[in-house]
Amino acid sequence: MDLDLNVRKDGDHSVLEVAGEIDVYTAPKLREQLIELVSDGSYHIVVDLEKVDFLDSTGLGVLVGGLKRVRNHDGSLQLVCTQEKILKIFRITGLTKVFPIHGSVPDAISAPAE
Amino acid sequence: MDADAAATPATVRLAFPPEARLLGTLRLVVGIVARKAGMGEEGIEDLKVAVSETCAVAVGDLNRAGVPDPIEVDLVEAPDRFGIEVRDRAPSAPGGPSNAADGEVDDRELGLALVGALVDDLKTSTLDGGGNRTSFWLRRGPQGLGAGALDDLPPPLT
Repeated sequence: MDLDLNVRKDGDHSVLEVAGEIDVYTAPKLREQLIELVSDGSYHIVVDLEKVDFLDSTGLGVLVGGLKRVRNHDGSLQLVCTQEKILKIFRITGLTKVFPIHGSVPDAISAPAE
Repeated sequence: MDADAAATPATVRLAFPPEARLLGTLRLVVGIVARKAGMGEEGIEDLKVAVSETCAVAVGDLNRAGVPDPIEVDLVEAPDRFGIEVRDRAPSAPGGPSNAADGEVDDRELGLALVGALVDDLKTSTLDGGGNRTSFWLRRGPQGLGAGALDDLPPPLT
């Protein structure tokens, strides 16, 4: 089981494309990547979850941690996701009210920071 | 399959060491068994989340306690529903330290609440001789939990 992460810059934003399964085993890799981005001064992050097959509570916790870190720098963390099975996890936990979730990366980048 | 066999719930029993890297394999097997049992795609995804979350808690408890005993998972195929029972030999009941890193939510509590929202009849108990048993059911059928099931969910956790 792999978790593939790819980072690219798009203007002021860093786009983190995530592919694979995010669970208690793989989530530390995502956590380290988010911490590294913030440490390097990337405070506006878009996390693209379109290629994520599975997301559990550990992954949710890591994303919440990332959001708190960028907000400490007046930054933003936007999500991209259209998969119903993943959106359901955010809805059940009430995190749709915490994360801005967009249908595409361009939409996320053009969205105003909350 | 004769009539008597059809009336008896079929059980698939899995056992795996408490290693987080094996949770992906577990989800794969659970998905295959549930699909062969005729469960719908939404139900399969719910089942994979619920089983994975439950077993992740067991893996964490066993690792913290230094207990290498395997986690056992029963997948019970009943006529109208699909049952799960997870057993572990962790000496302490839930309530151990959180796995959450600094700045994150307590994913253990979040995970258990997520399971409770996805399944029916969630029960936890202590095993004789130490350990924990967690069981729950999901309704079967092409739509998994069925249309409108989200309407019955409890309020959001946050």
